[in-house]
Amino acid sequence: MDKVRRSLLIGGASSLVAPILPAPISPLNAAPLRYNLKAQRIAYNSYVVIGKTEDYSPDNGGDIVNVAFIDTSDGVVLIDTGSSRRYGEALKQLIYATTGKDVIRVYNTHFHPDHCLGNQLFDKKKIAALPKTISGLKASGEDFSSNLYRILGDWMRGTEVIIPEHVINYSSEKFGKHRFEMLPFKGHTDADLAILDHETGVLYAGDICFLDRAATTPHADLESWHKSLKEIKKIPHKIIFPGHGPADTTSRSIEQTDTYLTWLEKNLTKSARSGKDMLEAAKMPIPEKFQSIDVIELEIERSVAHLYPGIEEKTLPFLGQGDS
Amino acid sequence: MSKTNTKHKVSKIAQLASKLSCAALLAIAISATPVTINSVSAADTAVSIPKDSLNSVMWDFMAKEHLLTDASSKKIVMNNSILVHAPKVAEDQLNLPIHVDARSIKNIQKIVVIADLNPIPKVLTYEPRQAEARISFRIKVGQATPVRAAVLDKDGVWHVGGTFVDASGGGCSQPAVAYGNDDWVKRLAEIRGRIWRTPGQKSAKLRFSVRHPMDTGLADGIPAFFIEKLELKGADGKLLGNLYINEPISENPTVTLFPILKEATTAVQITGRDNEGNLIDVAVPAPVQSSALQN
Repeated sequence: MDKVRRSLLIGGASSLVAPILPAPISPLNAAPLRYNLKAQRIAYNSYVVIGKTEDYSPDNGGDIVNVAFIDTSDGVVLIDTGSSRRYGEALKQLIYATTGKDVIRVYNTHFHPDHCLGNQLFDKKKIAALPKTISGLKASGEDFSSNLYRILGDWMRGTEVIIPEHVINYSSEKFGKHRFEMLPFKGHTDADLAILDHETGVLYAGDICFLDRAATTPHADLESWHKSLKEIKKIPHKIIFPGHGPADTTSRSIEQTDTYLTWLEKNLTKSARSGKDMLEAAKMPIPEKFQSIDVIELEIERSVAHLYPGIEEKTLPFLGQGDS
Repeated sequence: MSKTNTKHKVSKIAQLASKLSCAALLAIAISATPVTINSVSAADTAVSIPKDSLNSVMWDFMAKEHLLTDASSKKIVMNNSILVHAPKVAEDQLNLPIHVDARSIKNIQKIVVIADLNPIPKVLTYEPRQAEARISFRIKVGQATPVRAAVLDKDGVWHVGGTFVDASGGGCSQPAVAYGNDDWVKRLAEIRGRIWRTPGQKSAKLRFSVRHPMDTGLADGIPAFFIEKLELKGADGKLLGNLYINEPISENPTVTLFPILKEATTAVQITGRDNEGNLIDVAVPAPVQSSALQN
């Protein structure tokens, strides 16, 4: 995107005079915004679309998430739908161009907007999710969507929140030769669905696993997350496909997510014990082994906002209680 | 229009506004601004309001409402040595961390913190006495807004510094998270805190939190319920500082102050109350100065 148009979109999102107005309509915005999605084959009949390991920006249009699709003889099974209606459109075209088939099942791995705001392009009766993913999206979907309109501007045009109608209350389902095992975890959110394709050995981990892109924690429960990572490690698989970052053949994504979250919590606890406030705590030095993880500084700052109040409550000594 | 009438009108608007959402309120507040400007008396205009470095549409109104209302005001100056630290973007609109550092100003009467575009803009007033002129706290923000610290010195000069924080909105009209827990009343006014002392530094670091919903009155059906005043004293009864906090302070207010403690001080006493008369009275133990231990 050229610089002029970018500054217009940013101006629309953050200008002081009209902070709640959408991006201004200008001839420069009239050129269509296009996602350049590419399918990569990672296993038999199995394709992935790898998002940029960045934060949302008007430059990337929210193309920051991984999605995957599996070409079965019954039709295409799709895992996650991207950040916007426009992304969903590009994805649907890509799927058809690659497989020549229609989508018969969509999974939303969890309720975060980058994984399910492309739902609009698919039949909501075929979109499957865990019960708490459905309730989470019902409660927060509209807020997520308005925040993305604010950040991404015109990329979001026409995007609406579509709630999945197919509740996952079973342990597996089969399409063609592919048996998909439903693995309900939690920790990144209240309900994180991982899916194991028994035909190929690909484990679609959703955001329980990140690779070379810092893990995000807006709805995290770290204790549950560590437990989930421990369990996922025991599941036999050939490839892990994380929610963000490249496909992983060495289980490095489990290891990295686990050590990063452990390090983060340890440092925040140390900061709280030494009396630092949130702004000071966000300035922690990043060890060598995490230097190559994308957007780590940004995610640390965000994680401090998510996790620090809770950690402080555990570390500050109780002194007494007022009375009425 | 007389001055009294104008004031009455403004407070009526404020009352009405407190029943409306953040966005609606902003519209009213903006429309109220020209009315106030046109009707200030000669006494008010004696102090000129400098141009705002943050270009806020609300600045003149903020200065009149929150600074010039102090009888000792003689002058307002923009001063970028008053530091207001905040993240560029509010990740959590209910918990935006702010650090104000006004140590460049001598003989401080008080520090007033204002978030212009919040439905309730005034965040807090801090009167450091035996304490350094800096403070950390967290606030709720209704939308992207300037956050500024105005420091009044003994000569009646307001020194004003600030920063701009981007936010997606909604912090002020959301119910407190506490209402999700059934036991919130049982844990109301629980106080946590600790003092850290570093050898060779004259100020100690006091960080404390009070469990309190800090309701703005802007969430549907929930009246305003917030801590109004906290007073800090050393063990010898000497005043360290007064902190008057308002609705925009985050739920479970968590504050860092930098009191100057005598070596023999063993505790800091925090006392205060909320707007429903709940009393807060707690001693935060001060560790013995480590330098004294080494001797």
